[in-house]
Amino acid sequence: MKKVLIVDDAAFVRFAMKNMLEKNGYEVVGEAPDGSTAILQYKELQPDFVTMDITMPGMNGIETLKEIKKFDPNAVIVMVSAMGHENFVKEAVLNGAVYFLVKPIKEENLIEVLSKIIES
Amino acid sequence: MNTKGLDDAVDSMLEMFIFETNQNLEQLEQITIQSEKNGAFSGEEINDIFRIMHTIKGSSAMMEALEVTALAHAVEDIFFYVREKKPEKLDCSILTDLVLNAADFIKTEIDKMEAGEKTDAIAADLIESTSAFLLQLKQINGEQPAKITLPVKPKPIQASTQKLSSYIDLDEPVNVFQAKITYKDHCEMENIRAYTLINNVKGIVGELHYLPDNILEDDESANIIRKNGFNICFTTSKEYDEISVLLNRTIFLKELELEQLTDVTECSYWPKKEMLPKKALPEQIIAKGEEREINHPSMISVNVTKLDILMDLVGELVISEAMVTENPDLQGLDLDNFYKAARQLKKISTELQDGVMSIRMVPLSGTFQKMNRIVRDMSKKLNKQAELVLVGEETEVDKNVIEHISDPLMHLIRNSLDHGIELPEDRKKAGKNPVGKITLEAKNAGNEVIINIVDDGQGLNKEKILKKAKENQLLYKNESDFTDKEIYSFIFSPGLSTNEKVTEFSGRGVGMDVVMKNINAVGGNIIVNSEPGKGSMITLKIPLTLAIITGMTIKVGQSRYTIPIMSIRESFKPSLDNILVDPNGNEMIMVRGKCYSIMRLHQLYNIVGAVTDFNDGIMIMIETEKTTIGLFADQLIGQQQIVVKPIPAYIKNISKTQGVTGCTLLGDGNISLILDAVGIVNRV
Repeated sequence: MKKVLIVDDAAFVRFAMKNMLEKNGYEVVGEAPDGSTAILQYKELQPDFVTMDITMPGMNGIETLKEIKKFDPNAVIVMVSAMGHENFVKEAVLNGAVYFLVKPIKEENLIEVLSKIIES
Repeated sequence: MNTKGLDDAVDSMLEMFIFETNQNLEQLEQITIQSEKNGAFSGEEINDIFRIMHTIKGSSAMMEALEVTALAHAVEDIFFYVREKKPEKLDCSILTDLVLNAADFIKTEIDKMEAGEKTDAIAADLIESTSAFLLQLKQINGEQPAKITLPVKPKPIQASTQKLSSYIDLDEPVNVFQAKITYKDHCEMENIRAYTLINNVKGIVGELHYLPDNILEDDESANIIRKNGFNICFTTSKEYDEISVLLNRTIFLKELELEQLTDVTECSYWPKKEMLPKKALPEQIIAKGEEREINHPSMISVNVTKLDILMDLVGELVISEAMVTENPDLQGLDLDNFYKAARQLKKISTELQDGVMSIRMVPLSGTFQKMNRIVRDMSKKLNKQAELVLVGEETEVDKNVIEHISDPLMHLIRNSLDHGIELPEDRKKAGKNPVGKITLEAKNAGNEVIINIVDDGQGLNKEKILKKAKENQLLYKNESDFTDKEIYSFIFSPGLSTNEKVTEFSGRGVGMDVVMKNINAVGGNIIVNSEPGKGSMITLKIPLTLAIITGMTIKVGQSRYTIPIMSIRESFKPSLDNILVDPNGNEMIMVRGKCYSIMRLHQLYNIVGAVTDFNDGIMIMIETEKTTIGLFADQLIGQQQIVVKPIPAYIKNISKTQGVTGCTLLGDGNISLILDAVGIVNRV
């Protein structure tokens, strides 16, 4: 079972994504409400995927992404962004995010992205 | 997954959404009002509001509350602009109104969701005024009116000159492929999707060119890709099949057209000759979030019903413990070790009880903070000036109690502003500060919490109240016999409003009588004090908790009753000399020169075999804000902590339960009814 770490400051989004992932046979090994927690959890849990919200208080998603990438250059991080934040997504992708999802997250999109990433 | 599981998941998702959004809205309101007070939004506040709106937007979109999403988006846009551009001319007052209106709209919709109603309100007006504000903001701060994004024609063919330098593949790239990729409709940000595609094929291609070529620099390229698809042409050593598999893995792929070319010259956008590569990196765009300490105490949120169950269980435990330690079978036995162990048990169960109670305790700050908004809105509408001072917000009360006092507090604050605080001109004339002051203060006093609402307004008008009370036939004794306190307490009678006109805030059917009812429902008390011209003070006495109270258990015949200690003023053996009987046969008792009515409990509840002679029983003086009466019972059994249980519905239906608020189990297994002072006084 693939292990996923969900990073989002909104508990509701984490909860909803966890539901979607668990329904589709992914194991949510961790949930982090902010960047610094995410980094700690990544090091500890070594997940196969990370879904990373961009807009978060404190350390934002892109800074967190960079930190995780420093620790593990092969980290598979999918950014989660709201519509209209092209610039952030671009920066994230340039900094090594594998892919991105646009909020509102739909189950089929989330699963398609993850399964396609597994294939390649 | 079966449907039930699915429903549960949806339910808990909704619950979580509502909880989180409400929390966010509350925070939003506080920040906004605070910044309005300061006259400016600080960087941190702007960031916070932006983030809150952003979160609400995201969550509500997931719950498919589209109007909420759109509105949150519009507000988010303003704060994004403010954060990035830091405009000099910013009308904080209008912006505050906008944000608060938006928050109200969202709150209403959330409430509807919570009640299971359809969320059908249209936010178009709000969104329009929000967008208009942003547009205006941009204009007055010297920015060009927002560009209207026209569907952009594809630029004259000018292909990407980016040559990827990483040759992981050592084979000679001999095959040339050209592909056209179309993404699924509405997947957004096609240009960045295209960029990730290029990233993915980097490892296996030799030279690569694509159209549109400016996918990272220009977001318009997303539109072009949407319309014309994303075209790439590259050289590689791989065969058709491999390339096809690879490209078919493109996420959100709608259609792939792949053809093998014999030569790069067949591709229309392949550059004719080598050019210098362009720098494709966009600048750093992200404004760093202000450094803030992240210090979340680890918290979990628990459903209140679970706490109620826990509370109930602890209550049962306290009772069972008493049933064991006070068991009649133990009488006359010498059991040193048993009592030693029993004391230990008692100690632990008391600690457990305190622990459970403390979980249910919530600070009043949330409720108090809400009042800021009311004072702000009302003073604006009424053209009055007032500041709200909060004292002792950290005082904690039981969650159930908070729910009951939130509305009364709101009403009392409204009342202070509406009737108490005068217009600024009048205040100046009276030599007062034109800005009125309302103080909301909470403090602990033993088993109670005292909440004072103090204003420095005009005070209550005694004559007017008395006149109104007379019109409503509320006077129960001679007009001149009324004390000030008694007159003031008339404002809590139904149908008594000295305000002639019905304003937006007063006279909406929720009167002061409801305030009184709500406060009485939690076993609380209201005391009014006022000084003409100087202001008034309303004091609420609220029990800390509803679940466990200290009570005095008394015996009448074979029945037991418990009276909350709060209501008891004193108890004594009456002497017949002090008993008076009026011509109608009403009994009264003289205590220190004052006369009080007597209520015989055995008469009230038709109990046979009770003590009827005053010499043999006990008189308990119970006090309410209205009056004090003497309650006659057989004997006092003792003071103890009791767990309040609601009266079962089938007993409630019997009218005789008036004056009874609940029941409790005593240590010896007997049931005791809990008497309600207000209910009994009303029977006199």
